[in-house]
Amino acid sequence: MSAHPQDLSLREQAAAVASGTLDAAELLEATFARIDERDGELNSVVVRFPEEAARMLADAPPGPLNGVPVAVKDMFRLPWYGPRDGAPGQAAPPGESAVYRRLRDAGAVIVGVTQCHFWGAGSTGHVSAWGPCGNPWNPAHCAGGSSGGSAAAVGARLVAAAVGTDGGGSVRLPAAYCGVTGLKATFGAIDVEGYTHGYSDMGAIGPMCRDAADARLFGEVLSGRTYTRGDGRPLRVGVVRDPCWTNLDPEIERACDSALDAAGWERVELSIAGAEHQQAAALVCLTIQSLPMVRPGDLEEADPILRALTKFELLMTPVIVHQAARIRSLLRREVAAAFGSCDVLAWPTVPAPAPPIENPTVELPSGRAPADPGNLRQTGFGNLTGLPGISVPVGTHTSGLPMALQLQAPWGEEARLFDAAEHLEDSTAREFVDAAPSLAAQSSRS
Amino acid sequence: MDAFEQHVRAGLAYLGHDVDETEIAIMRVADGVYGPQLRALVDADLTGVWPEPEMDAGRAPSSRFPAGLE
Repeated sequence: MSAHPQDLSLREQAAAVASGTLDAAELLEATFARIDERDGELNSVVVRFPEEAARMLADAPPGPLNGVPVAVKDMFRLPWYGPRDGAPGQAAPPGESAVYRRLRDAGAVIVGVTQCHFWGAGSTGHVSAWGPCGNPWNPAHCAGGSSGGSAAAVGARLVAAAVGTDGGGSVRLPAAYCGVTGLKATFGAIDVEGYTHGYSDMGAIGPMCRDAADARLFGEVLSGRTYTRGDGRPLRVGVVRDPCWTNLDPEIERACDSALDAAGWERVELSIAGAEHQQAAALVCLTIQSLPMVRPGDLEEADPILRALTKFELLMTPVIVHQAARIRSLLRREVAAAFGSCDVLAWPTVPAPAPPIENPTVELPSGRAPADPGNLRQTGFGNLTGLPGISVPVGTHTSGLPMALQLQAPWGEEARLFDAAEHLEDSTAREFVDAAPSLAAQSSRS
Repeated sequence: MDAFEQHVRAGLAYLGHDVDETEIAIMRVADGVYGPQLRALVDADLTGVWPEPEMDAGRAPSSRFPAGLE
């Protein structure tokens, strides 16, 4: 067994506490010590709850996560904390979110709130009232957004599980940047009560963990559903070459290709009408749903870039909103038909590895560009359609940063994604899910 | 003042918002990044495609809803 309990997986922690080989109070103490030790450079767990966590532990009922520490993104109401969405002021008062109740009833212990991109409106995590969040593989690089704190905390082995939310890729993108496994559940599969963006039909909640088995367990807790393993039959993988496999960092394209080769799945080349407009349609839908939520006074406290962009978005025309709704309708019909010839869709989660915090742009074959547009192009499809999607680590870039493949399945087929992700992990000898960043490796050796 | 700046200043003034030079510059960058895709969306020929009525993003589209006038 590892010297530090946070080097154990979520399921190992849960099993060890249940069997009595690991004392939950010692686990909690070790977790806060690990956060103190490692989070200085990362800034991932931005609010810590030693007293509330101790109370949760004292009151923890028997359950699948009895006594296991977890963290939640800054978008959920907790009885003692009002979420801020990465902004200076409260976005909602304290209270019981559905996610809180699920975690409490499973016996989990919430140790803190994780960093979030300002208003959840970005894929880099470098803009936040909490300050930027560093990537555990290189703290000078972005952890991603908007659930960057959750991804970094799991990647750095501060906690084995954290809750994320995904309105335009915000679970899958930081999971890819930080080398962890992140699932965006089917829209509505996890109760959004007490989630600050619960008004949106683009947003979904999801587990962020080190590997698929942990994400399955955590996803079951969050959703209250059982994700039963399938029969292991080979999958047919839908590959939408254009636009989802274009304008990629060449190493990422090769890593994702190699992972599919290693999995041994049949590939089916697909064309999805309207896919060329998914980035713009996702941007419009996200914008139009979030603008009415901007309260008087919010603009004054906003980050200067977001303030300018929000004002710009106010000029969006009804025509483009209607066009986005038509694209969404088209994509949903197209993908429903596509699942007649494939079991999952696969393409890279991000077009390039995590950019530097100081200059969050990425190098693509088309040239250097801001990270956000390319990221949204890879993930907006899942939010427009409502499909579940999972990001799986499949490689390490020569920069030392993780690379990831995204899989998407039909509505309600999360179990198929967990099965597929586990198969990918096995096919790559678990090399990329068991890899630990140097800050984690140094500490666990000491 | 070019057409972009006139549009932004007049539109936001109509909505009751001030805008300064820095904000105009940020908006111009955003328009450079996202504008071509957004204009392509506006111009897309979606003849025969209707928005999905009573869409439930958690389920496949209902086969009962008409796709459009195809």
